[in-house]
Amino acid sequence: MSVPAVEVRNLTKVFPLSLKKEYLVAVEDLSLTVNAGEVYGLIGPNGSGKSTTMKVVLGLMAATTGSTKVFGIESRDVRSRHQIGFLPENPYFYKHLTGFETLKFYGRLCGLRGRELKDRANEMLALVDLEVARDRRLGGYSKGMLQRIGLAQAMIQRPRLVVLDEPTAGVDPIGSRQIRDLIFKLKEDGISVFLCSHLLEQVQEVCDRVGIIANGRMWREGPLHELIAIEDQTELVLRDASPALLERIRNLVASDSGGAELVRSGHPRTTLERLFLDIVRESREAKAKEDREKQASKGAKK
Amino acid sequence: MSEAANAETEERTVPRVPLFSPGRIWVLTMSTFTQLVRMKTFYFLIIFAVLVAAASNLNLLYTPAQKLRMLKDASFGAMSIFSWLFAIAATAVLIPRDLEDRTLYTILAKPVPRLEYLLGKLFGVLLTIGVALVVMQVLFTGFLFFREVTVLAAERQALEAQGGMSPEDIQAQLELIRAQGVQWQLLYALVAIFLKAGVVAAVTMLVSTFASSTLFTMIVATIIFLVGHFHKLAAGYWLHELGDSLVAKLVVKPVIMIIPDFRVFNVTENIVGGTPVTTGAMLALVGLALLYMAVYSAVALYLFIDKEF
Repeated sequence: MSVPAVEVRNLTKVFPLSLKKEYLVAVEDLSLTVNAGEVYGLIGPNGSGKSTTMKVVLGLMAATTGSTKVFGIESRDVRSRHQIGFLPENPYFYKHLTGFETLKFYGRLCGLRGRELKDRANEMLALVDLEVARDRRLGGYSKGMLQRIGLAQAMIQRPRLVVLDEPTAGVDPIGSRQIRDLIFKLKEDGISVFLCSHLLEQVQEVCDRVGIIANGRMWREGPLHELIAIEDQTELVLRDASPALLERIRNLVASDSGGAELVRSGHPRTTLERLFLDIVRESREAKAKEDREKQASKGAKK
Repeated sequence: MSEAANAETEERTVPRVPLFSPGRIWVLTMSTFTQLVRMKTFYFLIIFAVLVAAASNLNLLYTPAQKLRMLKDASFGAMSIFSWLFAIAATAVLIPRDLEDRTLYTILAKPVPRLEYLLGKLFGVLLTIGVALVVMQVLFTGFLFFREVTVLAAERQALEAQGGMSPEDIQAQLELIRAQGVQWQLLYALVAIFLKAGVVAAVTMLVSTFASSTLFTMIVATIIFLVGHFHKLAAGYWLHELGDSLVAKLVVKPVIMIIPDFRVFNVTENIVGGTPVTTGAMLALVGLALLYMAVYSAVALYLFIDKEF
């Protein structure tokens, strides 16, 4: 079995709050796995711990407890970064560099040189459709163009994992669609994608597996088709069913004393958005309950 | 698959990323240099050229030697102010700006150790200061040479017209003027200014690794720079007054140790005044500056290496 692209095991991240002896638990006992070649979406409300998790995976932060690995290498090990391409939310690269110079800069940091670097930079510019803006300084780029050049720099060294933090934040629908197509292209090329996004429709469209995080905890994780399936309903899938058989099934359903009705064939599904909202509501209720219990126990001690 | 085979497979999949790469540092150095150049830093050179031209054409009631000395004073003064001010301002801005713009994330998400990032930034600032100082030195030396030639010609003419002096006396008189002209020692002054700026940049980088804002970094670095010019003197007085007291141990002695002594780099005044600085003294100064830079960079790395973004 191949090594997972990302392996997060029992990750907890605690931030001390100023000089007070108080702490903020940003992520608590979180585990997730991004398999090689899959597109994984981590979704959650603001402040749920998505970015913290991503930063720990990238080695920009250290875990308080637990471990994170990228293709089997500890995230804090600089070698793990050779396999990663990262696009932060709303990136602003060096405005004094042109698009081409930006790609050369990041390529050189990854050890690319000479003709190989030049060809790769041109290839990436073509991929993100920025050839016309090749020699324009980034100070003159629109938000969508910055996002696309960001994606190009993320892929410059041919990483096996691309980490995208809100890749379509603030991008118009056309730019958003281009980025979505690029994610499909990455998937086709066998590159693993670890995606954080608020755009649930987009996550539903591109992700193979999804994790829903709230209040620093993983509430639900699994293949998208399983997550959005309605568990208390059943779908029968028949192969080569004759019209007579189908007719008998319809008759059987019609004769059901409970008044069942065959509405349509196919698996009934909810939407990721509805599932997400349900989970967030559930997590908030659980948190409120926890807080109430804490308050009650404090009151009882006094 | 056996454990040994597994380990071998894993070994093969781990990319070879050198733990320390001068090539990556050079990439970051050149990027920082380009950034600073494109921030129109070198426009200062135009101001400098105007200043030197004005100083070289001032015809105050000075002796010829004093005229040359004034030109050197003004030029080295401007070079010194530019270098330390630039070292503080540029270094204080670079890292916080990378953080605010999230450029730091994209750089550190590549296989770039934090040591290399810090060194690349520091060397980029030093390269910019070095290039600017060399250009200023060339400009200033050109003006000084031109001024020296014209002053010498005018003085020779005046002394010969005055009469009553032997050619040897005239030559001796002119030598006194030449001593204030273009000399190899001027390069030592340039090196000393550069070294001082290097130490200032290293101190500023250290402050920027824990500071919460650019403004705070600039203020603290400037205070350290100013205190570094008199703290040894003040410390001597305080240690004499306080003896081996707790205040002396907890405040005065740590301040002496932490803050560099910037006065040792003020060799320009000696050189301008005609007192030569020996090569040995210059080498000692280079060694001291490198030591200061290494220590401040090491502490900066210690603070930066586990910093969370």
